[in-house]
Amino acid sequence: MGEMELDLTGRLMADMDPKLLEFLQMKVNSFVKWDLIRFFHDNPHTTDTADNIARYAGRSVEAIRTDLAELAQDGVLEENQLGDMTVYSLVSNRQTRELLAQFVKASDDRQFRVKAIYHIIRGTRR
Amino acid sequence: MERVKTGVPGLDEMLWGGFLPQTANLVEGAPGTGKTTLGMQFIYHGVVACGEPGLILTFEEFPHQYYNDAAGFGWDFRQMEREGKLRVVMTSPEVSLADLEQVGGRIESLVQEIGARRILVDSLSHFERLSEDPARLRSIVYGFVNALKREGLTAVLTRESVTLLGEAGGTDDALAFLVDSYILLRYVEIESAIRKALLVLKMRGSNHDKGIRQFEITSRGIEVRTPFEGREGIMSGSPRRMADSFMQAFVRR
Repeated sequence: MGEMELDLTGRLMADMDPKLLEFLQMKVNSFVKWDLIRFFHDNPHTTDTADNIARYAGRSVEAIRTDLAELAQDGVLEENQLGDMTVYSLVSNRQTRELLAQFVKASDDRQFRVKAIYHIIRGTRR
Repeated sequence: MERVKTGVPGLDEMLWGGFLPQTANLVEGAPGTGKTTLGMQFIYHGVVACGEPGLILTFEEFPHQYYNDAAGFGWDFRQMEREGKLRVVMTSPEVSLADLEQVGGRIESLVQEIGARRILVDSLSHFERLSEDPARLRSIVYGFVNALKREGLTAVLTRESVTLLGEAGGTDDALAFLVDSYILLRYVEIESAIRKALLVLKMRGSNHDKGIRQFEITSRGIEVRTPFEGREGIMSGSPRRMADSFMQAFVRR
């Protein structure tokens, strides 16, 4: 990675809320996760299987399975067994939910979105 | 006898005051007839007029669709959610069924959290993909309906009708036997115009109006009007043909 790119990244992220920046860097490192985070923000009471969540999100289950599991490992989602089904739901932790709401609200802003997209693309290149 | 009012003008009179408490009430109709609107009206009326919080269990539509549709009638579902009087839960039949079978599942927790007394399940048709065996399907729905009653909920269950016009269908199917009341919504063609008709086909444990009534979806929700019979001559001047239309819509040949 060149010095110029590092400098650009630094400048792009400099004025971002540190909590959102951390959330972005630690939890949202793919566009699928971004979609899933928005989905669970809009549907906070949803509990469902990866297959059904994929259907709601308009993606294939293969495309989301890993990201769902990682969001659960990172404490954004809960993963539970319901009979023979593995189901996912949003964590009930209020702080996490508020952070998620802040992220979704911030991502409505074009400037924030551009920065976040840049961050994710950089991350996928590594 | 205690009644759970739907808040739909005209319908509560047809139901002799409303649904019976902790019952499962099926509303069946073709797309656009107003099944979901009737269910949302039932939930809204419970919250604002009866102090009874409600749940909406959706298997297809996203919650924002309900918020938007409700807003069109002046019902602020988002605010009701913020106030903890409503929860719109998007899930699937298999997960909701397994969840209700558990002790302390998510739906049970939500019912307790907001003190829910009413539920709209939209729609029961989605259970049909769980089994192609009618006996197995009946058993699944039976368990689901009983779980809702166990939670103390009075339920409106919608079901899609495959036919837009004509034969009602469904009156001899297994699910109709599992519910406590059965309301049919139908399109009826009269004099080259489409009207909407409502019939309370069954109401277990209570008498009810057996008439076929016209209804409209207004800016305030559904309003059930006077029986068609009384309007036949006035509106068309062709009583016999109108009666035939209704017979075709509601009665199997």
